[in-house]
Order: sequence, then structure tokens, then C-alpha cells
Amino acid sequence: MTLRVLTDTDRQSKLEVDQEKLIAQLGSISKRFAGTSNNALENINLEVFQKDFLSIVGPSGCGKTSILKIMCGLIKPSSGSINWPTSNFQNSPENPANLSFVFQEPNLLPWMNVYENIKMPLKILKEDNYSADEKIYEIIDLVGLKGFEGYYPKQLSGGMSMRVSIARALVTQPKVLLMDEPFSALDENRRFELSQEILKIKKEKNLTVVYVTHSIYESVYLSDRIYVMQSHPGRIFEELDFSGIDKNEDYRFTPEFYEQAKVVSDSLKRAQIV
Amino acid sequence: MSKLQSPLIILCFLILWEILFHTLNIKWYLLPPPTMILESIYSNFFSLMVSLSITLKVTLTALAASILISLLMAIIFYFSQFMEKAMMPVTVILQVTPIIAIAPLISIWVDNSEMATLICAFLVAFFPLLTNTIAGLKSTEKNHLDLMKLYRASKIQLLRYVVLPNALPYFLSGLKISTGLALIGAIVGEFVIGPISGHSGLAYRIIESGYQLEIPKMFASVFLISITGIVLYNLVRLISYLILRDWHSSYIQQD
Repeated sequence: MTLRVLTDTDRQSKLEVDQEKLIAQLGSISKRFAGTSNNALENINLEVFQKDFLSIVGPSGCGKTSILKIMCGLIKPSSGSINWPTSNFQNSPENPANLSFVFQEPNLLPWMNVYENIKMPLKILKEDNYSADEKIYEIIDLVGLKGFEGYYPKQLSGGMSMRVSIARALVTQPKVLLMDEPFSALDENRRFELSQEILKIKKEKNLTVVYVTHSIYESVYLSDRIYVMQSHPGRIFEELDFSGIDKNEDYRFTPEFYEQAKVVSDSLKRAQIV
Repeated sequence: MSKLQSPLIILCFLILWEILFHTLNIKWYLLPPPTMILESIYSNFFSLMVSLSITLKVTLTALAASILISLLMAIIFYFSQFMEKAMMPVTVILQVTPIIAIAPLISIWVDNSEMATLICAFLVAFFPLLTNTIAGLKSTEKNHLDLMKLYRASKIQLLRYVVLPNALPYFLSGLKISTGLALIGAIVGEFVIGPISGHSGLAYRIIESGYQLEIPKMFASVFLISITGIVLYNLVRLISYLILRDWHSSYIQQD
């Protein structure tokens, strides 16, 4: 099975089949920012299923980041609703531990060292020191930060800082990871290296990832599904399904990869013309 | 070498002063030479040290009060725009009115001379700390605030993990200014108010020496005031360095 464009009927049937796995459903979300006359987002309908790697692709300023921020409650939608079917969450779906957000920049606190930065969410959630340490060192191992615990953010490279940021997001053991162009400031090699690690961590931790990017290649390499967006106002143009494609390390050098990248690229072009 | 530069320059200046005093035949009661000032410090050592301790006590108490009250007010202003709008003009009025103009009033209103001097020093030292700390609290990055919001941090946690550490460099640079100002405020207060509970601080020593035409002693008091200021300033710089060296960009690490 390869890439296909999902029609409304496809989406409806997928919803029925995968009802059990539904984690989040955004229903007709619109957002107009105070002091502006146009909608930044209009009628966003989007579903997140368990263990999805979902990408939202679109040109700069189309409201991709706003969708993520609405999902984690950082901004409130002007209309529409988000539904979190509770059966998939241990506690309440609003529990901050269930959702983690990786910012576009590492967004580390400069006055804390690597260890303290990673520990910070657990301290806010009042986790006791013993179990906190266990989680912290597990994550430090997982993201390859061993030996860097005492470093301060200004001593770290961009890639290392991003690893700390990812570790901080993972330390609360979230179900869903929201990532906002996390690797956009990194060079090509670092970016690929970290993309691979995200895939590995996703598998190991059974994570559901919602990933915002403007990079076609990144989205094709990483995702099971892609929402292509158009701008002014921000709307979902098309949904593409990649599930079932085997993505080994060399996948990004295969002709299929380029074919699929072209499909996404064409979709983006059509989205801008419409 | 670079560490020795400024002491060397000061030493050269003092030697030049001494030489010029002898060669130009300057009257000692107009401008005493450094040796005579040193001798005066030596012969009046005990009484000068008592005076120094009195001035220092007022300065440090005023500084401590400024730190506490400015921090408290800055935090209140950070969370309440209403309080900031209501109170800020009052603090500005207190700041722009020269302390020398208010000091006689304070002297009349407050019976206790130590308290009156303390209030003078406090009024001068308080403002830079307050404005700097407020600027520091408000300069917290939006992304850092969002991070706190994501984890539903309480106001106390927000202050502890993000907002206060962010304000720390601003607070410390305010402290550098306020330390000097607290000393100035203490001296000015003493000039107007007089001896503190019957004991003369360094400022009153200057007035006394003027009356008694003991010019070397007058210079000795001025010297001690300057040295106190320099020591306090460098102490704050050291504290600032120790707190910020690990993470703040003003201390760039060289490997």
C-alpha cells in the first residue's frame, strides 16, 4: 500500500473503523486573533489516532503552530471544539502529563543545567525526588545526553539543546507529543539524526506524535498521515495517508520517497492556487 | 598585569600628590599630603572606626530594607497592573525629589535620629532596585511563560522557576547602583540630621573636622567613605559574578 489522498468518505469510514483508537478530534475549529479582521484558522477538522505520526504541512503563517497551541490549551479557539475521548487517557485528558509540547526553539531555562531543566516539569507536577530521578536518568539515556547533566544551556550546541528540550517533553511520560518545527534551526545531518531518533523513541514509548513542519522531506520521511494546509485563512486542504510504508534508514534515498515527496509538493502547490 | 593596573595608577597619583605638595609648597590646611592623611587615620583610628561602623550600619540596613521592599513591591506590581499604576507615581515623586530637600522634614517627623538617617538612605537606594527588578520580571520570555502554562504551574512555581531567576541579572545590576546610593543617602542624611543617637558617623566627622580646622582628619573621613563605597561595590560585583557566571551571557566562558 502506498500513498493516497483521503476523501471525505474515506475519513468517515476510517473514523468508524478506528473509533477505539481516537485520541483527539478537532471539530470545526476557527481562530481569529484579537485586533485582526480575518480568521487565522477556519473550519479545522482533524483527527489524531493512537500511535499516529501525524504531520501538518503548510507555508509559513498558515496557522500550523496555532493548531498545536489550541490542542495543548495555550490559545483558545474562537469557535469549535476539541474532543479527547477519555478512554485512552489514564487520568483526565486535561492532565498536563498526558500532553507534551516541543517548541520551535529549545526553550530551555538558561539558569538551570541540563538535569534541572529536565526535572522542572516533574517538580511542577510535585513528583517525589526518588521516582523523578529514575525517570530523568532513563530519559537522559534514551536521548543520548549522558555526561551532559551538569551543562548549562549556553554551553550546548543547537542539536544538544534540542535533545534536552525533547527529554524535558518526554520526562512526564506523555501519551501525545506535539512538536512545532523542532528541527528547523538545525543543519541537515543533525536534523536527520534527530528525526530518526524521534521515530525510535516513538516506537519504544508507544507515542502519538503531531508534528508541524514546512519541510516536505521531513514530513514524508516521518509521517503516517499528512494534513496539507493552505493559508489566508488557514484551512486544511487535503489529507494524505502514508500508512503501511516501510521506512528504513535508506528510505529517504529511494525513488518512492521522491515520488511521495512530489505528491506532497504538488498538493501544496494546488493548495496555494485554490 | 591587568589586575594590578588600577592600583598602580592610584599609587602613582598618590606619590605625585605627595611630591607636588612638597615642591609647590601647598599649605597643609588647604590640601594635606597623603602621608598626613594616613597619619591622621592612624592617630584617630579608634574613633574613625566607630564612625565608620555607624555609617556602615545605616547603609547596610537601608540596603537590606530596599532589597526586601523593592522585591515585594515588584512582585505585587508584576501580578497587579492596578497596583503598579496606583503606586508607581508615588515612588517616582520620592525618587525625583532631591533627598537633601526632604531630609529636614524627615528629621522633624522622625524623633529617632538613626531611623531618620535610615529613611533617607532607604529613599535613595530603593528606586533603582524597584525599577530594575520590575523590568526584569516583565522581560520574561513568552515561550518560558507558555512552558509554565503547559504544566499548569502555580503562581509561586512560576515565580520560583522562571520569573524571579529571569529578573536576577536586572536585580543585581540595580543592586550595584543602589549600594552606592545607600551610602550617599546615609551620608546626606547624617549631614542634615546630625549625630546618630549621640555618636558621630563619618559624615558628622567631616562637619566636626571642618569646625575644628582639622583638615587631615576631614580628608581621612572622606577617604574612608570612598573606600567603603569601593569595597561595597566590588562585593556586589563579586556576588553578581558568583551567581551569574554559570548561565548568564554577560559572563562568556573561554575554554
